[in-house]
Amino acid sequence: MPLALSARLSLKRFTKGEAAQHTHIKLNHRRIFILPSKTGLTLAIVILLMLVASINYNNSMGFVFTFLLAAAAQASTFYGFKNLSGLVVSLSKTPDYYAGSTGHLNLTVKETGERERWAIHASHLGQLKTFDLAKNQLLTIKIPIKLKHRGWYTPSTITLSTSFPFGVFRAWSPLLFKQAILVYPQAIDTGLTLDFQLSSKEQSGLQSNQLGTDDFAGLKPYQQGHNYRHINWKAFAAEKGLFSNEFNAEQSASIWLDWQSCQSLALEEKLSQLCFWVLQCESQGLEYGLRLPNIELAASHGEAHQHACLKELALFELI
Amino acid sequence: MMLIKPNLIKLLIAIGVLLIIPHIAGLPTSFILIGFALLAWRALTLWMPKALPNKWLLLPLSIGLGFFVLKTYGMSLGRDASSSLLVLLMGLKLLESRTPRDAQAVIYMSFFILITPFLFEQQITIALYALSIFYLLLLALVINNTQSASLINPPLLRLSGLVLLQAFPLMLIFFVLFPRMIGPLWAMPDEQSAISGISNTINPGSVSNLALSDETAFRVRFNSPVPQQKDLYWRGPVFWETNGQSWTLTPPKKDSFEQATPLAKQKSDIHYTLMMEPHHQFWLYALDLPAAAPKNARLTHDHQLVLANKLSRNISFDIRSTTQGVITKLSDNDLKRALKVPDNTDPRTLALANNWAKTSPDKSAIVNHALKFFNNEFYYTLKPPSLGKNPVAEFLFETKRGFCGHFATSFATLMRIAGIPTRLIGGYQGGVYNKVGGFYNIRQADAHVWAEVWLADKGWVRVDPTAAIAPNRIEHSIDPSLQRINSDINFLLNPPEGLQKWVQQLKWGINSFDYYWQNAVLAYGPEKQLDFLSKFGILDWVGMVKWLAILSVATLLISLSVVLIRQKKADDPVQKAYLALCRICAKKIGLRFPHETATDYFNRAIKDYPEKTEQLKTLKTLYLNTRYGKGAEQIFIRSVKKFKI
Repeated sequence: MPLALSARLSLKRFTKGEAAQHTHIKLNHRRIFILPSKTGLTLAIVILLMLVASINYNNSMGFVFTFLLAAAAQASTFYGFKNLSGLVVSLSKTPDYYAGSTGHLNLTVKETGERERWAIHASHLGQLKTFDLAKNQLLTIKIPIKLKHRGWYTPSTITLSTSFPFGVFRAWSPLLFKQAILVYPQAIDTGLTLDFQLSSKEQSGLQSNQLGTDDFAGLKPYQQGHNYRHINWKAFAAEKGLFSNEFNAEQSASIWLDWQSCQSLALEEKLSQLCFWVLQCESQGLEYGLRLPNIELAASHGEAHQHACLKELALFELI
Repeated sequence: MMLIKPNLIKLLIAIGVLLIIPHIAGLPTSFILIGFALLAWRALTLWMPKALPNKWLLLPLSIGLGFFVLKTYGMSLGRDASSSLLVLLMGLKLLESRTPRDAQAVIYMSFFILITPFLFEQQITIALYALSIFYLLLLALVINNTQSASLINPPLLRLSGLVLLQAFPLMLIFFVLFPRMIGPLWAMPDEQSAISGISNTINPGSVSNLALSDETAFRVRFNSPVPQQKDLYWRGPVFWETNGQSWTLTPPKKDSFEQATPLAKQKSDIHYTLMMEPHHQFWLYALDLPAAAPKNARLTHDHQLVLANKLSRNISFDIRSTTQGVITKLSDNDLKRALKVPDNTDPRTLALANNWAKTSPDKSAIVNHALKFFNNEFYYTLKPPSLGKNPVAEFLFETKRGFCGHFATSFATLMRIAGIPTRLIGGYQGGVYNKVGGFYNIRQADAHVWAEVWLADKGWVRVDPTAAIAPNRIEHSIDPSLQRINSDINFLLNPPEGLQKWVQQLKWGINSFDYYWQNAVLAYGPEKQLDFLSKFGILDWVGMVKWLAILSVATLLISLSVVLIRQKKADDPVQKAYLALCRICAKKIGLRFPHETATDYFNRAIKDYPEKTEQLKTLKTLYLNTRYGKGAEQIFIRSVKKFKI
């Protein structure tokens, strides 16, 4: 994909990288930059001193070795470049994480050809990993990331760099990927007891609650998709707005994890508490439904259901 | 915190030892020993980590050693002082090194130390030695910047060598074009260098210790017919002043340069290029008699060639000499100088010379008398008995055994007493022809002293009393390899045979190589650079910088394109052929849509382009086989090449 001139000249390309990619990125001369490193500047001073000594004594062999050192440093830039170019880099899928935990970016680096790669550093937000690559090798590098907030976590610029071979020049390639990582809210038990809405026949106190059509349980705001037969016309006639009748099924052992149950908590705390309950219910094999403002997930259980619930919690009011 | 790999420390210690070795001859022994001791200490810590000094020990140690350098050399930071200081600093830094960053600093320092031996000597052997250390230093850099714990890592060994090879073109461009006329940037303290060859005082025995030295003094390539061996007198400093014991050179004064008379060009003139080894003196040698001064030197009235500075590097000179006798006038001042006899001259000497003067009809007869005198009673030896306070008389009347110095000094004294203006000439006689390189090699063993007398009808005439006693010396060169102390002098008389001949050939070969090394590399200074570059139309430093920029950029672009082209080549050849095929098909059926797979596209081509259905079907099978089966890649590539619309 060719670059527009403005993008080509943009300074961001050198530090942050080109526009984020969904797929893999093959490192080429457009993406690899090279500049003297700090120790490279020290070497420049040493070369300068050697040159001054050679000039002062007009010493032919002094000149020879001074220039040889400078030329070798220059030639090393090609090897630094070759050490990065041709690598195929991508981000592979990670499991979902909870806020507050430490996760990993799974960076996949592939050498497709016959070259050996030495001492490449992969860095992301101050975290650094160093690796070598053999011929035709595929390597997954786990870079730790701190996940502070729930929601979509988009990795920042991942920089592959190398000081190979002499440490005099640093070649680097800033890469941006679009793959985002979903971060669930942190699961916290605030000590709040779940406000059960058990069926009338459930006496044992089991936290099980299932939506049914048998017993009238209460009113809830009408939402599109609700059965129009359940609209409470009396309330509508009384100009209270549209409400649906809610019924509890007999013998239902399902639980509603309801936003309303944690009125006393702040927004994030509510989500954390709900997250905790979701995990609890799932681990105890109960059927549970999730009820957030404007969102309702019917009671169910299983991994997919847990993920759906946690995703709703993770992204609540973020999009 | 990352630590230096133990193997790298071993490598750095080894490099340190290799770096100090060339300095053993040049620097004070104390510094050499301290340098080795610091390295040994660091080596010890590899097995005894507790022996590693902390900064409270290192700081006073560094300050102490710094004072030691200061005390030895004073405030001047010249060649010796800076070499010593660097050797110590390298050891101290290595002792302090813990992290790869420290190792990097040690390596950089080593690169600087690598060029310090060249300030003392620049022989090709030292250059090759330094080149191998340079390679080790590159390897050390690579090891320090990779995760390789082992030193013997073939890809990294190869890489260091490749970088070294690739560095050569750019180095050569800079070596040839970097303007040399800048510099010296500031005056360097006058270092004591070992002076070899003729010095600025001559006493009877001073030349004989040179007869054992096979070292080259200078080399000469003739550009005109070569004179006979016995006429190869290489004239150097001219001595007028003597105190009876030794002859001292008086630096030429301003009027000596003003009175100098260069001789007009003649057909019989001898032209040659003389390549001088640095002898750290002001004078130059030239075939008797230099007609005019070459570039960078001045002629004096007594036909010495004098340089502006002491010669501290190899320089070559194009000189013209005349073989014709030159009749010159003698000024009153020179006459006085050339007749001055020391006050403390022995009466026996005075009596002998005065006797000759009385009995001889003219001055040439006196000279002949003296030569006959030497020929009758004297003996030519390399190791004459040592002489006391009055060397001339003791030699003439007691020991009667001597080398050229004895004969020349006593002859000159006798002539002066007899009233003939005489001066003493230092220089070389003869030289060994190198058949391989086609040049004369004049060695320290060829050092010689003779006299010049002034005769009214002939001017200054060369008289070599040694030739009267030992004609072999003049017709053949001394063979230093066969000299034994207190024995007869061996000359290079007969051409060697058998194995000896091969040895000689080899020696000539090495010597020729050394000659070209000196001539092309070491002598490439400001003069030679201008001379060489003017052939290409580069006349000043502006031109040099311009061409330096142009050529280095061109070299960089060439190497860059080589890297990128090789990168491209590494791409899959089958894929390349496939893309070429797609381009051909695109003319008929349009480009491949992004959503189309290779199979889809082939199928569309087969359907939309019925004329070539069969061929396309084959190509499709071939392509899919190379990708997913066991197809031969070459067949597919060849088929694509054959495919035309």
